Amino acid sequence: MIALHTASEGISFAKALEVESATFYENLAKRFPISGEAFLAFAKENRKNVREVERTYYGVITDAIEGGYCFDLEPNVYAINVEMSVEASFEEALATARGVEEKIIAFYSDAAVQSKPLMGDVPRAFLTLVKKREKRLSIMNLMLTKKEV
Amino acid sequence: MPTLEEPIKEVKIVKNYIDGEWVESEGKLIDVVNPAKCQTIAQVPISTEDEIDAAVEAANAAFPDWRKTPPLARSRCLFRLKDLMEEHFEEISRIQTQEHGKTIDESRGETRRGIENVEVACGVPTLMQGYFSENIATGIDEWMIPTPLGVFGIIGPFNFPWMIPLWSAPYAVATGNCVIIKPSSEVPLSQNRLAELVEEAGFPPGVWNVVHGGRTVVSGILNHTDIVGITFVGSTPTGRDVIYKRCGETGKRVIAQCGAKNFMTIMPDCDIDRTVASMMTSFFGNAGQRCLAAANCVIVGEDDVFYNMFVDKIVAIASKIKIGYGLDESVQMGPLRDRAKKEKVVGYIEQGIRDGARLRVDGRSPKIIGGYPDTCFLGATILEDVAPDSPVGSEEIFGPVMSIMRVSDLDKAIEISNANPFGNGHSIFTTNGKNARHFQYNIESGNVGINIGIVAPMALFPFSGMKDSFFGTLHTQGQEAIRFFTESKVVIQRWF
Repeated sequence: MIALHTASEGISFAKALEVESATFYENLAKRFPISGEAFLAFAKENRKNVREVERTYYGVITDAIEGGYCFDLEPNVYAINVEMSVEASFEEALATARGVEEKIIAFYSDAAVQSKPLMGDVPRAFLTLVKKREKRLSIMNLMLTKKEV
Repeated sequence: MPTLEEPIKEVKIVKNYIDGEWVESEGKLIDVVNPAKCQTIAQVPISTEDEIDAAVEAANAAFPDWRKTPPLARSRCLFRLKDLMEEHFEEISRIQTQEHGKTIDESRGETRRGIENVEVACGVPTLMQGYFSENIATGIDEWMIPTPLGVFGIIGPFNFPWMIPLWSAPYAVATGNCVIIKPSSEVPLSQNRLAELVEEAGFPPGVWNVVHGGRTVVSGILNHTDIVGITFVGSTPTGRDVIYKRCGETGKRVIAQCGAKNFMTIMPDCDIDRTVASMMTSFFGNAGQRCLAAANCVIVGEDDVFYNMFVDKIVAIASKIKIGYGLDESVQMGPLRDRAKKEKVVGYIEQGIRDGARLRVDGRSPKIIGGYPDTCFLGATILEDVAPDSPVGSEEIFGPVMSIMRVSDLDKAIEISNANPFGNGHSIFTTNGKNARHFQYNIESGNVGINIGIVAPMALFPFSGMKDSFFGTLHTQGQEAIRFFTESKVVIQRWF
């Protein structure tokens, strides 16, 4: 894949990650109904994140956003893998979810660093999402300990 | 990456918006062409004199009631307009890309900047307050009331079809005036979409009118005795010799924001990576078609190592700029607005080479992503060793061309910048505060950037300009716009 450079590309990629992972959590909720509430909460938060990212981007005007030199990100590095076998256990499902979250955290962290000098609010919004996701990883650890299956 | 969906899907005839009605013009139609695809997307009329008269009549008729409408109620109309603009943000942005060719990021930036002016104008209940002095003499009080004047004409350029009329119109109507907007006939569609939102926001008929056309409409507005003032953004010859002159002759208020030749001074102590990123946007953003685009890059100092490293870096990055249709999100530079504009820029590049400049990046045969016709596309071009008094170094090119000059010290950089007749948006890149202050104090430029590539003032501040870049007294945007669109009525009162 070709590297992402423009603000529009970066934001579209972020939105795609959020939407794809939301669908993944909605599927997990159906598959593991006992933890369904938690998974659906993740999915709902993802869709809220889409709005947050978009709102922040639309609200910021800087040279960089207009010019399209915000990022130099290789999308392959951050592509998420939501594939799971039909027999996957709860533990395996959570491991996949952790992988998804780590990729998204990496994307937002790198995108925030690259866009920080010129884009103001957007990197701040990305870092807020990193924090949310780190919290999510702790919740997943807890879910694993409690074995909510 | 696939292109984003186009909001304009069929060729329609653009209508005028007069007295709250959408009216088909009787004037001759011309094509509105998407410059990336060379495809006709609409037809716009060259409206007749009768149609201008009808718009002025409607605006004049609407004025007394609109003036009576409390500022708070007028600002509520603007709040509703702002909400509608946010709701249709993406559609509005894509229309601009379709009609103008700029990238989607640039269009979204333009949409936001336009909205910001509406947001500022929403503050009219406080912005328009007068002032009062008790006892200016014993038992006598005096106060000033800012009052609206009537009907204003707003003449927009092609390079920012959505934003530039919004530098004026929200302030004009917020203060109780009525407006007639004449968008550029090359890019009339985003202004019509705006008028649809104005209608939806509930502005009374006649307050906001749009009349399409070319020179005949401009002269109609200029010569109409019921139009009290004009804001204009366009070239210096038209602004100075036609608009400013005629407004003087007819006693109209005027703001004429005109051409530019912006100098970017690079100090050897600058933050190189951030400077280069800002430069790319400033020189090549909007395909160089903005009055605040940098045109001349003045590198200061005799350090050959710094000079060569810096120039090599900008050459390397500029050579990689992706060119194509702005609705492809990966594209970093769109086409010029039309073939004639491209040919004019190519003419300057060739002139520069003939005059002895060194061609470091040649944008004349660019690689175009998506296989679109090359009719209007031009790549980033960099010329080195350009003389500041040569045509390429001194005249407005309005295209993606960077002219590199080298000077021994900061004073020399300021001297060559000030020697140019324009004074719109000069900037300096440095990490030294003393140099920055010296530059800011001595540079003759209405807008000054310190580590800023595009010195575009936010809506709270006047969009300034000096020398041949501006004709008038007050400027568009912010408090100055409020003053431009109001007359000071002073009341002195004594009771016996």
